[in-house]
Amino acid sequence: MNGINVDINHLKKGEVNLGTSIMAVKFDGGVILGADSRTTTGAYIANRVTDKLTQVHGTVWCCRSGSAADTQAVADIVKYHLELYEAQHGAPPTTKIAASLFQELCYNNKDALTAGIICAGYDDKEKGAIYSIPIGGSIHKQEYAIAGSGSTFIYGYCNKNFKSNMTRDETVEFIKTSLSQAIKWDGSSGGVIRMVVLTASGVERLVFYPEDYVNA
Amino acid sequence: MNHGPYDWGRPSDDTYGAYNHQIAAANNSQFPKMNTQQPIVTGTSVIAVKYQDGIVLAADNLGSYGSLARFSDIERLLPVGDSTIVGISGDISDLQQIERILDDLQVQDSYDMEKPNLKPEHVHEYLSRVFYNRRSKMDPLWNSTIVAGLSSTNELVLKYADLLGVTYSSPAIATGFGAHLAIPLLRRKVETEEDASKLTEEEAVELVRNCMKVLFYRDARSIDKYSLAVISQSRKKIDIHKGLRCEDMKWEFAKHIRGYGAPQL
Amino acid sequence: MSSIGTGYDLSNAIFSPDGRNFQVEYASKAVENAGTSIGIKCRDGVVLAVEKIQTSKLLVAGRNKRIQSIDRHIGVAYSGIIPDGRHFVNRGRDEAQSFKSLYKDPIKVPNLIDRVGLYVQNYTCANSVRPFGINAIVGGVDDDGAHLYMIEPSGVYWGYCGTAIGKGRQTAKAELEKLDLPNISVKDGVKEAARIIYLAHEDNKDKEFELEISWVSQSETGGRHEFIPQELFDAAVQYAQEEDDDEEEEDEDVEVQ
Repeated sequence: MNGINVDINHLKKGEVNLGTSIMAVKFDGGVILGADSRTTTGAYIANRVTDKLTQVHGTVWCCRSGSAADTQAVADIVKYHLELYEAQHGAPPTTKIAASLFQELCYNNKDALTAGIICAGYDDKEKGAIYSIPIGGSIHKQEYAIAGSGSTFIYGYCNKNFKSNMTRDETVEFIKTSLSQAIKWDGSSGGVIRMVVLTASGVERLVFYPEDYVNA
Repeated sequence: MNHGPYDWGRPSDDTYGAYNHQIAAANNSQFPKMNTQQPIVTGTSVIAVKYQDGIVLAADNLGSYGSLARFSDIERLLPVGDSTIVGISGDISDLQQIERILDDLQVQDSYDMEKPNLKPEHVHEYLSRVFYNRRSKMDPLWNSTIVAGLSSTNELVLKYADLLGVTYSSPAIATGFGAHLAIPLLRRKVETEEDASKLTEEEAVELVRNCMKVLFYRDARSIDKYSLAVISQSRKKIDIHKGLRCEDMKWEFAKHIRGYGAPQL
Repeated sequence: MSSIGTGYDLSNAIFSPDGRNFQVEYASKAVENAGTSIGIKCRDGVVLAVEKIQTSKLLVAGRNKRIQSIDRHIGVAYSGIIPDGRHFVNRGRDEAQSFKSLYKDPIKVPNLIDRVGLYVQNYTCANSVRPFGINAIVGGVDDDGAHLYMIEPSGVYWGYCGTAIGKGRQTAKAELEKLDLPNISVKDGVKEAARIIYLAHEDNKDKEFELEISWVSQSETGGRHEFIPQELFDAAVQYAQEEDDDEEEEDEDVEVQ
């Protein structure tokens, strides 16, 4: 064709992807989210200190995997909805409501999105709660959730080692070990391990550098 | 510098040709709008068979992500009202959408605050219309379903509906892999309505449980944990048994199998 | 102009000089002579009851229900212009459905009443419409427990422990105030509701009526809004009639003295 044209498929190939290792785990006081920090375009690491843990409202957060652009757009829209929800209903949204919004967006736009999201949070009603929303837009309530390309390497480890009602420190160790293995075997995951602890007392961030976790 | 992009001009038409206005159009494509997708998280077979006093149906609890056994707690037998079970295979996000559609239907049915009027024949007709409408929009709900229950006249209903809008009824129905593996086993006992009228409840449950075992042996997208529903005409009741396991499996003969042809130690 | 009063009552869109919207006030008149409806908030749920005036002997007994559901967990009883009530309920259902389609959770009762309140208020602002000719009692249960509201044609709504509307409202309110609300059980609430409707019917004695009672409670109905079971209904009616007779006897005693 003679006109200037845009090959969307070519652009899609160059898209920035969160080829990722993410997880969220419930524990006796709430929930902890964890993620690696690598963002790639193909084999090139576009960002080695990415923050894939995103706040959508107070103590309701999400882990993003898939297309960086798509998941950021979805998280932004959910954040907007939750802000509106609190203003309209005079109470903060529950994790379930946030997860339902993610689900609604991912399901209705499944043809346009590459987004695998874990929505986890702490609310007074349910305490800790975790919802996995894989591509396709189904929703699954879980005790713990893993996702992203690196997660395939740790299904066995997590299944064998997860226990309900662990303490906070046990949970941090569990996530650290799991993600360090995912990072070790998945070329698309790497960098630091970030965590966010969500409890009745609020939000706490943790960072673990390679020297902290390689032998974890 | 002038910062208005519209004032910057365009590459000359002589060199590059006229601007292709389709680029700016929302659906910039030479192709028709494509809504058809592919199933992502999936559930495998649902099987069902009639017996003299009702229907037995079963579906396992696996949600597969390709070959990855990702979720093992998916409930694919949905009760609708008090006299219908809908068994769903295929895409799980669409299964959940169907669940929501049927829930809305039940809320509407309850507006008159009478007993549920929603019967399996209605649910089946409604579902098949939803399926056909969606496939006609080139945006199908990627599922095969079995609707079973007791009709308004307390008669047995056992029908199939799928993503294409195809429907049929039979005393033994199975979706997916079950259509290949379970149907021959089910028809060995229940080929006709008359056969069904001779089968007892215990025999029917036994038959279905055996099919679930064979499916676990031979369907690589199945697990050995499943739900089983028993619809009874005389009791006017539906029981759903959850978390059942495949039992009495035979694996011992494996020890006699050595090599793949030529004798081997 | 003089033959039609001041003229300030001809439109919703015009205040009277002393700041009143006459159309809204007239709408309340539509309620004042209608059959009585009451709502009782109890420890574990809500009871709704209506005195359904039979306008014709040809109407099928036990049909033409007046209490309606907005969602599984929310019920409505209203007095006034019935078609207005039907429209109000339809709007409530739309709001409940729209909430659920977005958030995948049943709407909480206070949020529902916020939404329908806004809708009713809108009918007091424009020249092209008239206000709702009803008072509606909305009751339900959600995660935060039982809720009871009453909404008026102006769009104003308050939360109540017990509320009554329609012709017998004064009698009913007096009786409701004697109850220990919201600390009674829904089962007791049902009996009291029947009694109060029978009592309130004294204000409308010349007309036949049919009693309707519904309830919604976590313990009795699993959080669903339903008509009460027949046995309970019969027992409640029996209780109501006995109480009613007692009262008449008391009245007679007074006369004798």
